[in-house]
Amino acid sequence: MPDPGSKALLLLAALAASGAGLGWLALAMDVHWAQVRGAAARSASQVRTLRVLGALALSLSLALCLRADHPTIATLVWVMTLAAGALAVAFALAWRPRALALLVAWLR
Amino acid sequence: MFQSLRLSMAWLHTWFGLVLGYVLMICFFFGSLSVFDREIDRWAIPETRFAPQTMPSYDRMLAAIFPRIEPEAEELDAARARVGGPLPAELPVMNWSAYTTHRDPVLALFAEFAVTNNPNDPYDHVHGHVTVDPRSGAVLPHDRLKIGSEFFYPMHYSLHLHWKNLGYWIVGLAALAMLAALVSGVVIHRKLFAELFTFRPAKRTGRSVLDLHNLTGVVALPFHFVFALSGLTIFAAIYLPVGSTMLEPLAMKHAAIAAEARGLAFLPSDEKAPLASVDAMVAEAKRRWAARGMPGEVGFLHVNHVGDRNSHVSIYRAGSDRVALVGQAVHFDGPSGRVLHEEPPQAPASAINDFLTGLHLQHFEHWLLRWLYVLGGLTGCACIATGFLFFVEKRKRRHAAAGRSGARVVDALGVTAVTGMVIAALAILVANRLLPADLPHRGGWEEAAFWGAWLLAFGHAAWRTAALREARIAPAWREQCWAIAALAVLAVVLNAATTGDHLLHTVAAGQWPVAGVDLALLASAALAALAARRLRRRERAVADPAGVAGTTDTATTEAAHA
Amino acid sequence: MTDTSPSAAEIASRVAAALLGGYGFVWGFASLGIVLGVAAGLPYEEAQTLLFLLAFLLLLAAFCWAFVAHSVARVWAVLAGGGAAMTGAAWLVQRTLL
Repeated sequence: MPDPGSKALLLLAALAASGAGLGWLALAMDVHWAQVRGAAARSASQVRTLRVLGALALSLSLALCLRADHPTIATLVWVMTLAAGALAVAFALAWRPRALALLVAWLR
Repeated sequence: MFQSLRLSMAWLHTWFGLVLGYVLMICFFFGSLSVFDREIDRWAIPETRFAPQTMPSYDRMLAAIFPRIEPEAEELDAARARVGGPLPAELPVMNWSAYTTHRDPVLALFAEFAVTNNPNDPYDHVHGHVTVDPRSGAVLPHDRLKIGSEFFYPMHYSLHLHWKNLGYWIVGLAALAMLAALVSGVVIHRKLFAELFTFRPAKRTGRSVLDLHNLTGVVALPFHFVFALSGLTIFAAIYLPVGSTMLEPLAMKHAAIAAEARGLAFLPSDEKAPLASVDAMVAEAKRRWAARGMPGEVGFLHVNHVGDRNSHVSIYRAGSDRVALVGQAVHFDGPSGRVLHEEPPQAPASAINDFLTGLHLQHFEHWLLRWLYVLGGLTGCACIATGFLFFVEKRKRRHAAAGRSGARVVDALGVTAVTGMVIAALAILVANRLLPADLPHRGGWEEAAFWGAWLLAFGHAAWRTAALREARIAPAWREQCWAIAALAVLAVVLNAATTGDHLLHTVAAGQWPVAGVDLALLASAALAALAARRLRRRERAVADPAGVAGTTDTATTEAAHA
Repeated sequence: MTDTSPSAAEIASRVAAALLGGYGFVWGFASLGIVLGVAAGLPYEEAQTLLFLLAFLLLLAAFCWAFVAHSVARVWAVLAGGGAAMTGAAWLVQRTLL
């Protein structure tokens, strides 16, 4: 088991990865893309990239959770980070969509 | 029931959700508070504001305290009723237990005493308990109500309704309704992933409330489902008492066999024998846990058949690092101290059950997961509350036009169940700080403050929802939000004034239980004030939509004529 | 188009079937499952724990089914009837195990 300091960092990173992953999955959907980027068009491969990024980020989050804790606890932590992340993304889309623009700043 | 599956599921979701939703609010809200029940205990009982302690020495401390435990007065009264007469002067003690977790500064000690003269039940017994400061062995005064672990926590699973376990049954029914509401909700909603992040607060109230209801229901769906299910499995012996009724002969036969197989005597022998060194047993148990790669502290210690030749001591490891609660028990022979049996890894069903139970009761040491649990619980509250709001929103215009009061009743009950409940929880904290320290039955007075405040909130809600008759928003919501803000701030101020542990001090000293409660109170006050202001704006907008439209019409008419 | 909303009597019957019938069915299922488990060699505690885990999921299924099944009569027959049959069978099997 890692020491408390590293554990805190691992969990913080897991939270961030879950949030980013869910953000990317949300932005892969047209309605949410429009909320953040307006009428900007994008290609099918860009949409696919966003989904892949999302899946990778969520997998990374799970890996980080497993690194930080006993497996039984790690799975619970991961599932709950998904809930927290999804809420954060939904509220950002509703009230501060620009905040999510960061996730797709590299997509022109 | 209806022509389509979806309609039947919608009916189920609406009506069971509505009726049991009021109970579910209580379960989810007080369940969320229960995540930090021991921290709330610290806030409520200033004498216990010190760091968590491990289980102290049995030989040097607990051995002297256990014999002093007496049966509870209420338990003796109930026993007299069961026996139908007076009880024997001396009730022999059957067993002793000590229980602690990584968050407990104080230690809970329990005793069971045999009621020997009950002709209907040879196993009849009563309980006693004390709370001990493990640093000194001092026994805490009995009348310090642990507002977190002894009030908020039992509230969420029993509603403090103990007559014939009625509260447990109502909560169980509510749990079943929750599971059915989740299943039916998924059937009705269907677009689980496509609308996962959909929340449109700018739309009309009905749509935005429904969005929020769907959002809070879906994002924490595994959480809501598993908590409702595990709530049922934890109390399975109450809900499906097959083992103490129809299958009791089989169950008892196997309990005796299982005890024999472990070398643990099921019954005492009636020959006296002193207990060997329990500290030595604890040391051996810890050695064995470390040898299995899971070093740990004692979570639960149980001395069975006290003082008898057949006595045995069971020592369980505190599950602070994993989900399952306590486990890896080592059983010792009482008089000799030798190991009788070390529990092997569990059989599959028992392991799954322990996992579910531990998941629900969370004795693990993981602060992030605890806070995420609170988030999950409050998300559940939001789901239920938005359910009420949607129900009212959908019907209030129709009911107002037809002169029916259904929407108004549901709304008033909704205010009571949501803001009224929070007001009651704050009232008990305020009363806790205001009441004199040595008031007899102080705990009873604190509980009276809780129920009294809730009743007042209900009265206020009933009075201030007349606006529903005109399909407007009831001012009761906003007014109770302001009451919440005021009470929460008052509680923090009173804590500082009566104990001196104000936020600057507790944060600097790292006294996180007390600081955490104070900070949570202040955050709640801020949220409530924000909600009150938003509600004011919505109330005005709903009451005067024509004002805005009129201006626009005049302007466009003028422009057209220009 | 005929009016398809259920009568108060049907609603009452379905709710009763869902709650009482569902409970009876699950009681029978748990009892029978436990005695069969013990007969198959499981320790009593393990059999009971396993059946409790399954019982509440089954209760949820029975409860929902009571509202979506076309015939109320069939719901009562299956839940109450099945529950009684399983309970009786469990009682008989227990006698052979004692």
